[in-house]
Amino acid sequence: MIDQFALALGHGLLAAALLRLALRDDVDADPLVAELGEAGAARRRAASPTGRKAARRAGRAVPGREGIGAQSGGQAAHAGEGDPALKQRSDSAGKPAQAAKRRAGDRAQAAKR
Amino acid sequence: MLDLVFLAFIAYVLVLGIKRPFVWVLLYVYIDIVAPQRIGYSLITSLPVSLIAFAAAFGGWLVLDRKEGARFTARQALLVMLLAYCWWTTGSADFPEEAATKWDWVWKALLFAIFLPFTLTTRARIEGLALTLVLSVATIVIGTGIKTVLGGGGYGSLNFFVNDNSGIYESSTLATVSIALIPMIWWFTRFGTIFRPHWMVTGFAAALTFACLLVPIGTEARTGLVCIAVLAVLLLRYVRRRALFIAAAGVLGLAALPFLPQSYYERMATITQPSGDESASTRVAVWEWTIDYAKEHPFGGGFDAYRGNSFTYVMPVREGEGNTSSVRYKKVTDEGRAYHSAIFELLGEQGWPGLAIWLMLQGLGVVQMERIVRRWKGQGDETPDEREAWIAPMAVALQLASLVYFVGALFQGIGYQPVMLMIIGLQIGLATYCKRLDSARAGLARSAKAGAGRARRKAASPGAVAAG
Repeated sequence: MIDQFALALGHGLLAAALLRLALRDDVDADPLVAELGEAGAARRRAASPTGRKAARRAGRAVPGREGIGAQSGGQAAHAGEGDPALKQRSDSAGKPAQAAKRRAGDRAQAAKR
Repeated sequence: MLDLVFLAFIAYVLVLGIKRPFVWVLLYVYIDIVAPQRIGYSLITSLPVSLIAFAAAFGGWLVLDRKEGARFTARQALLVMLLAYCWWTTGSADFPEEAATKWDWVWKALLFAIFLPFTLTTRARIEGLALTLVLSVATIVIGTGIKTVLGGGGYGSLNFFVNDNSGIYESSTLATVSIALIPMIWWFTRFGTIFRPHWMVTGFAAALTFACLLVPIGTEARTGLVCIAVLAVLLLRYVRRRALFIAAAGVLGLAALPFLPQSYYERMATITQPSGDESASTRVAVWEWTIDYAKEHPFGGGFDAYRGNSFTYVMPVREGEGNTSSVRYKKVTDEGRAYHSAIFELLGEQGWPGLAIWLMLQGLGVVQMERIVRRWKGQGDETPDEREAWIAPMAVALQLASLVYFVGALFQGIGYQPVMLMIIGLQIGLATYCKRLDSARAGLARSAKAGAGRARRKAASPGAVAAG
């Protein structure tokens, strides 16, 4: 009786655990590793000559955005350097253009003040 | 009926594996620990379920897995070396037939430990393996705990699912493994994602810990008591309120004393007076014999080389009852006495090279886990990111498991115990995962540094100023 109870409990929990595991998406690809990898790739792309050219072209194509567009490559690469949050918050690094834009906005606000 | 339940469970996991082949790896872990083919009576005993599970696990990984981040590490190389060395010593063993029997399960356990880290590429997989290990051992421990509480314990008389005194079903081995896994059980109460932290998870962990602590009492395994003491001392490093922990442990220990049977006291008394017990007193004699044997056979005598030993010693025997009891010393001759220590097991069977590889394997694990704890515990008061906070506590649990196992292995011949080889696999998997995170971060930091340098150069050059 005790053996049957122990076997039933153990196997029941194992069955539930394995089912939950099988239904998860992060079993085969780790989201954190993937996110860091993507952020690194995005930075490398932005920092590469092709990336910088593309950023400049994008800046010229949108009137009034030359400054931001020309800056975005370098800014994106710069984002996070010396920033302790880089180690912990890789989410902002995944979107370099937005981060650069936000920083440029902050600087403009500070200059106004 | 029991056979059908086991087969239905195995079939269920095989079906789940079609969606996630990694589940087949966990199926092998479950079969290797619980051994349903040894618990059943009819149909399941004739089926090679272990082979089927291994074929599914390896085949699934080879054909269907992404293998992203799988790396061959130094500790896996040590396992390969140990495997190759064991194969070589088996070929020239003192007792070829017995050596072949042991080699038959040792190579499988070592091969699986080499293979396991290749599959542990994500947090979910590391947690899945840890949970399967805990629940598989729990299946055995729960029954043992209940029987002990209901008074069914006793040295050599506590019935498990399998009563052949081998593998994890050997009382001292089960006691060591169950105590070693206690820190990991508690890891799930804080960081589990398969079963999220909940009062039911905490309640189950508390009950399971109690059952684990009852195993050394129910089986009257002296090694288990030593392991509990070692774990308590090691935990002092991690508990926040040390004084409270020591006081609580003392109170719990004292509260448990009236419930322990007299036979338990008598058996535990032989820890400090080994000469009064045959099993304890022969250990020292076997260890001395092994050292002498290693002088003549520095490269080992192959598996089960202990069968060649024979020694005579004097042992006190108590006769009579109450006030009329007397102690008589008699000569006892023992032949083919087992090593009763993994250190001497490795020394006698694999010689100095085998022992060196095994010690490096165990020692590197402890060092590696210590490095992970220091690297991932967070700087000062700063707590690590939520998605990484689980890493350091998992490394602590694995390190404590290794240390408790090592202490237990000093008094038992469990050098190739599959559960502990799986713990080594888990340690390697965790270390590889951490390296991947570190290398991704380093790549990110490098590109940030390079970008910043470019931006500085651009700002310094007059052309850039004009353009800007």
